Amino acid sequence: MFGLALKMLFGDTAKYLMLVAGLFFATFLIVQQASVFCGLMMWTSSTLKNVGAPIFVVEERVEQINEINPLRDTDVSRVRSVTAVRWAMPLYSGIQRVRLESGSFKTVQLLGIDAASLAGAPARMVEGNLEDLRLPNTVIIDELAVTRLSEDRNHPIQVGDRFEINDIEARVVGICKAMRSFTGGPYLWTTYERALQYTPPQRKMLSAVIAAPIDGMTADDAAAEITRKTGLRAYVNRGFGDNPGDFNTSTIWWYVRNTGIPISFGTTVVIGFIVGVAIACQTFYAFVLDNLTYLGALKAMGMSNARLSLMLVIQSATVGMIGFGIGLLATAGFAYAAIEHQQPPFVMPWQIPVVAFVVIQVICMMAALMGIFRLSLYEPAMVFRA
Amino acid sequence: MGIFSKLIRYGTIVAAPAGVVAILGIARLQAERQMPPAGDPPLPPAAKPYVQSVSATGILEALSENVSIGVPQAGLVTEVKVKVNESVKIGDVLFRLDDRDLRAQEVSAKARLEVARANIAVSEAQLGKTKSQLARLSAVSDPRAVSVEDLENRRQDVAVVTAQLDSARAGVSAVEGELKSLTLLIDRLTVRAPRDGTVIQVNIRGGEYAATAPKEPAMIIGETDRLQVRADVDEQNATRIRPGQRGRASLKGDPSVNFPLDFVRVEPYVIPKASLTGAGTERVDTRVLQVIFSLDRPENPPVYVGQQVDVFIEAPEH
Repeated sequence: MFGLALKMLFGDTAKYLMLVAGLFFATFLIVQQASVFCGLMMWTSSTLKNVGAPIFVVEERVEQINEINPLRDTDVSRVRSVTAVRWAMPLYSGIQRVRLESGSFKTVQLLGIDAASLAGAPARMVEGNLEDLRLPNTVIIDELAVTRLSEDRNHPIQVGDRFEINDIEARVVGICKAMRSFTGGPYLWTTYERALQYTPPQRKMLSAVIAAPIDGMTADDAAAEITRKTGLRAYVNRGFGDNPGDFNTSTIWWYVRNTGIPISFGTTVVIGFIVGVAIACQTFYAFVLDNLTYLGALKAMGMSNARLSLMLVIQSATVGMIGFGIGLLATAGFAYAAIEHQQPPFVMPWQIPVVAFVVIQVICMMAALMGIFRLSLYEPAMVFRA
Repeated sequence: MGIFSKLIRYGTIVAAPAGVVAILGIARLQAERQMPPAGDPPLPPAAKPYVQSVSATGILEALSENVSIGVPQAGLVTEVKVKVNESVKIGDVLFRLDDRDLRAQEVSAKARLEVARANIAVSEAQLGKTKSQLARLSAVSDPRAVSVEDLENRRQDVAVVTAQLDSARAGVSAVEGELKSLTLLIDRLTVRAPRDGTVIQVNIRGGEYAATAPKEPAMIIGETDRLQVRADVDEQNATRIRPGQRGRASLKGDPSVNFPLDFVRVEPYVIPKASLTGAGTERVDTRVLQVIFSLDRPENPPVYVGQQVDVFIEAPEH
């Protein structure tokens, strides 16, 4: 019966191809768009990924990392004075403009970290030495900056090259790997004191205090303790999840609430689903109609409705799996290029393909159900009438 | 069945598992590219020495503050006698100011002293002369040979010349007094150490002009065997500070260098926090309580006056 079902399925190449193509498009649209959406949302919290600190302390009403209300310099000492804190260091984060030798301007995301401990330093250096950041007028750039700040493709910016940030010299001493920012500017690391020199003076300059909990205490408890003792808002930095006290979660939800990004991506995913449903159901129904005489013959030969239904379910599930697999193959190709070039954003949590598989199978079952419905109305006697 | 149908049938059947494998590969690649989870900084910051503590930033100073040496009057520096890092005792010469104008006055005063002394000799000779004349006239016993007027004149002469001699002597003391005051004034232009200590900074060199109200002091002297830390505590933590609390400091640049602190005093006046950027447009928005601690100067590694330190003061939370 199993072989018979597959033989029937593969027998009609045109309809088979149509079914697979429809499900392939549905899979590709759902998985790829959902992943790009996740990637884009992850970009909003890239500062939190690039500055590896368990706790971020910000001003009381700050909800997301890209919109910071600065603190006073002594707030570092206040956070440090909390018993639950093992260490606390200042962090500057802001958007600045870089002037290249050619005279053109580029926007960058400037990060200022504590010079002694280098807390918040890039985790993955490609070239250069992290400690060189203590030399005068030095910065560490990320790989995106290499493409952005270079004169042209043949003259990439290298360790030792110079440019200007607000008329002050900056010398590159290192290149690192970093996650891209939502605003598109490359990340530049320098020391906190120098970041203040690069930045036009403001009354308060400290963007955030990064901290770690004492041994034997979770970051969540320590963050709650900091909030209670200092009145500042302390977030933990683990990653997007269901914890509202996580800065990643808070940042991403801010973008979901305040921008049209989820609507636009959500629409595409829904369209993918609708396209899948329309093509699959319509084609499968046509397929069942075409093969109705054979199915009727089987019915007349005494095959039960249940067994015939099982045949249709096997057929649609097979088509679903093949379409889904090819969709994944196409998505993987897209993802590989995206991850290599870091653009467009692509982050695929395991839930996306799993949910997509379930969705595709649901589409297939809907199509099978329509076929089963049609078949159940078909009288075996009609085979002989034709 | 055509070759095309076969191709599609088997092609799709092969492509589907390949897609699953490929997406697993992508998941793995993605995990590899992910930023490592938050951890400790490359150089671990100073561990907190106490369970409950107030943190502050501080600066190293010489014990009993740094003495900024001033000058008695504006003038040219002729010679600087000490070098940076030299230890000095109270009264040691630090540097000299140009004293040539006073020395010139001294030379002329000395000349006037000679004149005054010569005047004494003249007056003494005069006195001798008038005295002998008086003696001679007085020796004549016959009253008719000498007029009373003559004799009286001679007596008056002696009195006048005696007064002249006294005046000449007073003239000498006057010039001597002038010389003494000049010596004192010249000595005033030699700047001496006001207390024992070490020369921490020399901002003046021979040939430079020393002003009475300079931008930076000519010289700074302080006790560097024992140092003190001036710790700035945020006013919001000021209530946790009590006299006698222990402290521990670590160098800002190198957290591995840390030393114990002995409480000295709490400055009774809460001051505006010294600015970090030093920009003129900067406004003060917080005030700090200053707590003074003393420490023995560690031998190795060396620490210097003026270095920034992170201070932890043992203070219970409330």
